[in-house]
Amino acid sequence: MKLLNRLMCTARRRSPWLFHMNSGSCNGCDIEIVAALSPRYDAEQLGVRLEGSPRHADILCVTGPVTRKAVGAVKTVYDQVLGPKAVIAIGSCPATTNVFIDSRTLDGPLDKHLPVDVFVPGCPPRPDAIIAGVAKAAEILAERGNNPPTTTVAIANAEEAVKP
Amino acid sequence: MNILIMLWKNLLRGYQTLLFPAHPRVTPRFRGLVQFDPALCTGCAVCRFRCTSRAIEFKAGKGEFTWSYNPGQCTFCGRCVEGCAEHALKEGHTEHALSQQEAVPPIYTMQGELKKSYTVARRPPAPKPAAPPTPAPTAGEAVPSTAIGGAQ
Amino acid sequence: MTVFSPLVTALARLLIFPGLLFAVPAAWFFLWVERKSVALMQGRVGPPFMQPFWDFVKLLGKSTPPRSGVAGLLMRAWPLIAVSAAAGAVGLLPVLPSSGGFEGDLILLLALLELPSICIIAAGFSSRSIFGEIGSAREAALSVSYNIVFLLAIVSIAASQHTFRLDALASAPFTALHWIGILAILVCLPAKLHINPFSLPNAEQEIYAGPMTEYAGPELAMWELSHGLEWVAGTGLIATLVAPHVTAAWLAACIFVAISFAVVLLLSALAAATARLAIDSSVRFYWQCTLIFAVLAISSVLFVRFRS
Repeated sequence: MKLLNRLMCTARRRSPWLFHMNSGSCNGCDIEIVAALSPRYDAEQLGVRLEGSPRHADILCVTGPVTRKAVGAVKTVYDQVLGPKAVIAIGSCPATTNVFIDSRTLDGPLDKHLPVDVFVPGCPPRPDAIIAGVAKAAEILAERGNNPPTTTVAIANAEEAVKP
Repeated sequence: MNILIMLWKNLLRGYQTLLFPAHPRVTPRFRGLVQFDPALCTGCAVCRFRCTSRAIEFKAGKGEFTWSYNPGQCTFCGRCVEGCAEHALKEGHTEHALSQQEAVPPIYTMQGELKKSYTVARRPPAPKPAAPPTPAPTAGEAVPSTAIGGAQ
Repeated sequence: MTVFSPLVTALARLLIFPGLLFAVPAAWFFLWVERKSVALMQGRVGPPFMQPFWDFVKLLGKSTPPRSGVAGLLMRAWPLIAVSAAAGAVGLLPVLPSSGGFEGDLILLLALLELPSICIIAAGFSSRSIFGEIGSAREAALSVSYNIVFLLAIVSIAASQHTFRLDALASAPFTALHWIGILAILVCLPAKLHINPFSLPNAEQEIYAGPMTEYAGPELAMWELSHGLEWVAGTGLIATLVAPHVTAAWLAACIFVAISFAVVLLLSALAAATARLAIDSSVRFYWQCTLIFAVLAISSVLFVRFRS
C-alpha cells in the first residue's frame, strides 16, 4: 500500500495538467503563460499540459484581479476541477489586486474565494517564474493526496526537492 | 517543403529549451524587487507618494519611522526608485535608499510572506552647505522649511 | 504455436503478443515518441520518457463527478468499449507468421478499428454538454469522410488477393495496387488518430475539449489508453501489410515493431509540419482529393477480376 501511495504521489508530481482561467486580467500574464509553453521555456519538460476543460486539469492557474462579475465563474470553475487540485495565482493581481486596489468593480484578492497554494509575483511574471510556480504546485499536490484544503491560508510546503 | 527543411534543421540543431531550474540571463535595468537601505533613508516618503499600487507604507512616529514594502502588491514600475533618486539629488546627496534588484522576484506560498518592514530612527539633518548670496527678494516668498516627513 | 489449440493461441494473441501485455506499454511508448519527436522538431525538449505512464496513473487517482441516470451509465461505458475494441483490434493483427486466423477476420478488424471513433461520437452526445455536441458533430463528419477512403482502400487490397483473411493478406506478394492501398491508409491515419492536420475533434481553445469535456479521472485514463491503442493498431496494420514475409517469429516481431516505429515517426513529422484544418477543408480534402484514388483502385480491381 505504501508503495502504491508513493507511486501515486510521484505520478501527481510528474504530470501536472493546467487549466488557465482569466478573471479580468489585462492579458499580460496570459501571454506569459502561453510563452511558458513556447520552445524557449517549454513547460512540457515537466509533463505540463494545458488542458481545454477544467475537468481534465489538476491545477487551476488564475490571472487577473477577480472582478465582481467573474467571482461566480471562478468559483464554478474551481468546483469543476476534480480533486486533488491546487490553485496558482499568477501575477500580482490575484494575490493583492495590485494597482486596482481601490476599484469598485473588483471583489477582493483571489484568497477571498479560493484557497490559493502558490503565488507567482510579477507584473507580468517571467515564464521561468511561472514554470517554477507550477513545479512547486505539483509538489504540493503530490503531498496533499486526497485531502482538500479547508482554510483560505495556503499550505506551506515542507519539502524542498526540486528535481523530478 | 520549407517547413520540412525547417523541421530538419531544428532536429539537427537540438532543443533550444532552458532545462528546468535554469533561469535566463536577466538584462541590466531589469526591474525586480525594491530594496531598501535604512542607513540612507531620510524619511521623505516620496516613494510612498509615488507608488502606484500602495505597496510601500510609511508610518511616522516620534523620532523614528516605519517603512514597509509588500512585493505582492508591487507592480515593479520603478517610480519609487526614481522619486528617491530625484529627491536625493535635490537635497544634494548622491546616494539614495531605494534600488531595484535585477533579479526575478521569488514565488511564495503564503499571502504576505515576502512583506518587509523596517523601523528606522531619524537622523539629525545633515549640516546645510553655506548659503549662496540671496537674490533680490520677491514679495512674500517664504524659504521652504526643511522639516520633512511629517505625518501623512 | 501450431500444436496449441486455437483457443490458447487466440488468448495468447489477445493478452500477450500483440495483445494487451505488449500493446499497453507499446501504446505509451508510441504516445511518448509522438510527443517527443514533435517537440524536438519544434526545437523544444519535450516530455520525459515515462510521461504517458505517469499521466495514466495520475488520472486513475482523481475523483469523478457524480453521474446519474442512463446518460451517466452510458458515459461510463463508452471509454471501456473503446479500450476493449482497440485492444481487440491490436490482438487481431497477424504479426507472427503462424498465428492462425479465420476467414473474414479482416472485416472484424475493420469493425474493431471503427469502434473507438464511434464511441467518441457517442460519448460527446451522451455527455449532454454543448461542447461535447459540437466536437462529436465534427468527429462524425470527419469520420464519414475518411472512412470511405479507408475502407475502399483495404477492400481493394483484399479483393485483388481474393481473400479476406488477414494472414493471407500479410504474406501476399506486392503489387502496385497494394502500394496505392497502403498510401491511402497512410493518408487516412492522421484523421483516425486525431493528429494535425486533422486534429479537429481535439481542438482545445476552440471547443474546450470537444467530446471529452465532461470526462475526468479514470474514464479519461481509459480514453487516453484507447487513443494509444489506436496508434498501435493503426500503425500495426500498415506494418503487417508492408512487412516482408519471414518464418522466424522473433524476426517478424522485430520487423513489426520497427515498421510501426517508422510510421509513428512519419506521422509525427506530418503533425509537426502542418496546422489544423477546419472542418470544411478536411472534409473537402477527403472527398475531393483522395476519394478519386480510392475509387480508381477499387474499380481497377473489379476490372481485373471481370477480365480474368
